[in-house]
Amino acid sequence: MRLLGGFFVLLGVGLFVAFGADEALGAVLFRWNAALLNTTQAVVQRYLLPMLWDDVLLPILEAPAWLAPGALGVALSLLGWMRARG
Amino acid sequence: MNIMKSRPWNLPESCVTPESLVFGRRKALLLGAGALAAPGLAAAQEQGLPPAMRNTRYAPGRAITAEREVTTYNNFYEFGSHKTISPSAQRMPQRPWTIKVDGMVEAPREFGIEDLLRRMPLEERVYRLRCVEAWSMVVPWTGFPLAALLTEVRPLASARFVVLETAAMPAVMPGLRQSWYPWPYIEGCTIAEAANDLSFMVVGAYGKLLPPQNGGPIRFHQPWKYGFKAGKSLVRITLTDQRPISFWEKIQPQEYGFWANVNPEVPHPRWSQASERVLGSGERIPTQLFNGYGEFVADLYSGLQRERLWA
Repeated sequence: MRLLGGFFVLLGVGLFVAFGADEALGAVLFRWNAALLNTTQAVVQRYLLPMLWDDVLLPILEAPAWLAPGALGVALSLLGWMRARG
Repeated sequence: MNIMKSRPWNLPESCVTPESLVFGRRKALLLGAGALAAPGLAAAQEQGLPPAMRNTRYAPGRAITAEREVTTYNNFYEFGSHKTISPSAQRMPQRPWTIKVDGMVEAPREFGIEDLLRRMPLEERVYRLRCVEAWSMVVPWTGFPLAALLTEVRPLASARFVVLETAAMPAVMPGLRQSWYPWPYIEGCTIAEAANDLSFMVVGAYGKLLPPQNGGPIRFHQPWKYGFKAGKSLVRITLTDQRPISFWEKIQPQEYGFWANVNPEVPHPRWSQASERVLGSGERIPTQLFNGYGEFVADLYSGLQRERLWA
């Protein structure tokens, strides 16, 4: 778990360095693959739940690109550290 | 010697209603409202859709889809990518509303929607609509040919394309939060396609004002093309000599091109276009070339075989 946490922390740092503090995750993903988000949105809103996109995934995509992987990485690292300490 | 006795029911010639008013219901209603000098009544008339005669030239050959189906199953990405956007779309204000027509024209203008409802030659047309997602519906639209609107601004001879721009209202359109998409929604066609009589500016459906979820107060429709080519809730029409790159062309150019004419033999990259599901009945029927409007539009594309006409 700490290894996974470390990976996401590094990913967050990498995204911060590459795209700066403000670039939205959605914008980064759109630049990488313009069709990806549209297809994902269609699948989520049509086959799962429209609100899942609007209220959960969209806020993550609107946040700075480094924030989600960085926060996830820190959380996983902390959990791993707590488990290791017993 | 004739002695003319006036009967009580005799009326002088000056009281006879002019023929143009008797046979022009829409104008007669508007003038009648004005003559009553009742501002409330006139306002009520202006807020509704003037009556329009059905144009029987373009008979759909299929039953009209139930209004409820058409007004509750919508593609309008500014409000979300699911089909039940109608409650959200209802929050979009429809008045006041203006549409600017500019670019390569002699007389650029901005039209108020009420002005268009009064001035344009409104008629009802029952068109088939074929969505690129392989479903279809038949809708009685009220509107006027795009050519009639373009006549008002007098296009320059150098204009080759028409660009249609949809409203972008972040306060009521949650889809615009996805700032990475190339808003506003842009679509376009050639001047020749725009001049075709089938190219229709829609202001009503089922005898009522066009609801926002269907693209109210004014949208476009070319029934021989896939539905995504029809810009909704239009705020601007620009004539240009540059071929526009549409919203979907920017996002998924392999799937959604400029021409997008209906062709059952050219599949979408992820599904067949050979048949379509009829909204309401759920029946699957074969899709027709140019959505069945080939006799009116096929000649537009002679000499364009090298273009990607079908997606």
